Amino acid sequence: MFDHGQPSYAEVNKDILSVMLETGPRYWMLLGTTMSVAVIFFFMPWFYQLIVGVGAAGMNRNAYWGTYLSNFIFWIGLSHSGTLLSAILHITNSPWRKSVYRSAEAMTLFSLMTAALFVMVHLGRVWFVHWSFPIPNQMGLWPNFRSPLMFDVMAITTYLTASSIFIYMGSVPDFAAVRDASTGTRRRLYTIFSFGWRGTAREWHTLGWAYTFFAVFVIPLAVSVHSIVSWDFALSIVPGLHHTIFAPYFVCGAIYSGTAGIVTVMYCLRKFLNFERYIGQVHLDNLGKLLLALSLIWSYINMLELFSSWYGGSSFELEALKFKLTGFYAPLYWEMILFCAFVPLLMFFRKFRWSWNKMLLISILINIGMLTERFIIVATSQPRKFLPNAFGFYFPSWIEISITIGSFAIFATLFLIFIKWVPAISIYEVKETLKPLRRDA
Amino acid sequence: MKWGSDLSTLVEKFRQYLKPGYYDEFDYHWTMTIDLDRCTGCEACVVACQAENNLPIVGEKRYARNREIKWIRIERYWEGEYPDVKMGFIPMLCQHCDDAPCEIACPVFATYHNQDGLNTQIYNRCIGTRTCAVYCPYEVRYFNWFTYTWDEPLEQQLNPDVTVREKGVMEKCTFCIQRIRLAKDNAKDDDRRRVRDGEVVPACVQSCPTEAMAFGDSNDPEAKVSKMMKDPRAYTVLEELNTTPSIVYLKKAHAES
Amino acid sequence: MAIMGTFAFEEDFLAAAEKLQSSGFDNISLLSPVPLAEAQKVLGLGKSPVRRFSLAGAIIGALAGFALAAGTALVFVLPTSGRAIITIPPFLIITYEMTILFGVLFTLLGFHVVSDLPAWRDRPYLPAATIDRFVVVVEGAAGEQAARAEAIIRQAGAEEIHHVEEDQ
Repeated sequence: MFDHGQPSYAEVNKDILSVMLETGPRYWMLLGTTMSVAVIFFFMPWFYQLIVGVGAAGMNRNAYWGTYLSNFIFWIGLSHSGTLLSAILHITNSPWRKSVYRSAEAMTLFSLMTAALFVMVHLGRVWFVHWSFPIPNQMGLWPNFRSPLMFDVMAITTYLTASSIFIYMGSVPDFAAVRDASTGTRRRLYTIFSFGWRGTAREWHTLGWAYTFFAVFVIPLAVSVHSIVSWDFALSIVPGLHHTIFAPYFVCGAIYSGTAGIVTVMYCLRKFLNFERYIGQVHLDNLGKLLLALSLIWSYINMLELFSSWYGGSSFELEALKFKLTGFYAPLYWEMILFCAFVPLLMFFRKFRWSWNKMLLISILINIGMLTERFIIVATSQPRKFLPNAFGFYFPSWIEISITIGSFAIFATLFLIFIKWVPAISIYEVKETLKPLRRDA
Repeated sequence: MKWGSDLSTLVEKFRQYLKPGYYDEFDYHWTMTIDLDRCTGCEACVVACQAENNLPIVGEKRYARNREIKWIRIERYWEGEYPDVKMGFIPMLCQHCDDAPCEIACPVFATYHNQDGLNTQIYNRCIGTRTCAVYCPYEVRYFNWFTYTWDEPLEQQLNPDVTVREKGVMEKCTFCIQRIRLAKDNAKDDDRRRVRDGEVVPACVQSCPTEAMAFGDSNDPEAKVSKMMKDPRAYTVLEELNTTPSIVYLKKAHAES
Repeated sequence: MAIMGTFAFEEDFLAAAEKLQSSGFDNISLLSPVPLAEAQKVLGLGKSPVRRFSLAGAIIGALAGFALAAGTALVFVLPTSGRAIITIPPFLIITYEMTILFGVLFTLLGFHVVSDLPAWRDRPYLPAATIDRFVVVVEGAAGEQAARAEAIIRQAGAEEIHHVEEDQ
């Protein structure tokens, strides 16, 4: 588990807390850069779009949904990383998750926030977005709970709430550690954050039970959230979208994309925060095996989708399939297949699974492929619906590309703020993997 | 409070609400028939609709980007090469499907089925998710990508009975609901219970030079549309999707060659 | 008065805890930087009552979810797409999400109630407990009892012993 020998308990505290307690100019420059990119590439174009209208983007009569929604689905997909790693591997008592799960959960939370932003960008009249929430009002009007988008609203609200609570509760003992290692305002702040945690056996007992229940609640929630997001598409009667396989397809794709995201984030944490001691080969190896398994499942589901579209013989389906495979966006489609189905097969070889640089490259390629996949779903199904007279074409505009870039900057900003406020690696869980403090150990 | 009878009506209402197809009987069931044999593709209906319903003038540049707003459009289908071209026109407008895929998509109830069998669009409630447009198989829903304005003096030709829409709002054919409303009000004032056949004429039906379109209440067995619907040429577009549209097309008859 | 003893090793810590428990001290806290199953066993902590909060939350959430979806559908009856007014499959999804939402919220409440956190008043504590020391805290001991507790802790091999005056 530890490549460079086991640290002592005190060293664990020092290493992990030093990221929070000491800040150099490099951090501020990086934070400043990501915030500027976020403002210039995301918020300013969005402001322009709010004034002028959604027409500033590239959507048209043939594709009412564009990159805003495909990005939304990409970010929700990325958010499944934390749930998988943190909750599922907690239930299965996996030891290697202990150093990586906190950052994975943070990724979940911030991906969800970015995805929520994309919903706002997508709406035509976003100043009325509160109408889609079941808030009592003097009009006596309620939202339409039969709508797939309302399932979305409920699911994502629940997921955001549950993820925030999940990560916060898991961090309470670490907030106590920060409190004890700091002075002044920070100490006062973390006294409040940690609720006065002392680490008594009673508190650990309660936290352990509550945390397990959170994990048990969050796992089916994550599965349901991305199924519900897929039903935004699958509950339409559009030929390329109306497939029952969409729910498992999207959930598998989400976990796949999220796990690839974790590999990328682990690389960055290791490199920039000097966590080489805590995130080692065994984590990379296990994440690699997980990615490989997920890529095989993903490829299988893709083949299923193609096969069942073709086998059904419906002229509408065949037209949509033809456009997907051989139309204008065919290069993107085959690029997606290459990056998500074939490139990950390299992870069968130990040489690839144990090399940090190679895994970084593979994980980035997988996520590029997954981003493309969401775009393909949106851009190639809508222009080929039923009436040939109404076929058309969709190409993203400069404002959409800019907002896509800006969203990554927003995610990076949130993550940078996170590493200064919450210990990026769980202190007490890492200690659990060390030798116990016994005389005979 | 009479708990006994209140409870039984509640239970009965609950049972009724659990059944699909709540409105098994519409008050009026507004239906349109379009005889494709008579349609010449002149697009008079398109112009009339634009005038009647304050359709925005989108402009040439935006039209080229497929951003047009035409509540009724003429679809052209042709077979063969000149001079043996067989051409057909299908005026495509909102079919006001009884099982519309679009109504269930709206998260805020901006589109729903009213008691007259119309698929209504409530502009004030729309928040612009555009899900209804994606779900519509006929692609007859249009979105206000910008707030379109009319240059002087065109704003003087706007119909005062119809609202104008701001950016971010979906719109589509309403079967000229303002004319339906006017006819129903007149019927009520005249102590007549029902609107007579031929009293409600949407703009497109009114303007068609070949009288290819007919509009009326299919609940009334004597109405023109009810008789047209029994024609052997009658069909509905994309009927395999089970959307049960309220527009019945009469197939164009081709001479056997 | 509260007496705190720090230990560097688990065995000593647990031995002290057991001895204190069997000597009749009932207000002891066992602080550790990591959760220790043996310490929880010494205190006799079995199944946590948090599970009741979770179950209650889930049940309330399920009922609330269906009531929300079905109730709001009845305020203004707006038929859509020829479906029923109270459609079961979509409302089941809403029920499912609310079950989980309320389950999570009630579990959170349960955690706060059962663990008695946040601590509104200062409690006897040593910072070493979050680093690498095990701390036994005996609260509410006075005079002769305090001396007896101190003796047990010292005998088990404590590194340091602290006395803290308590407010109440």
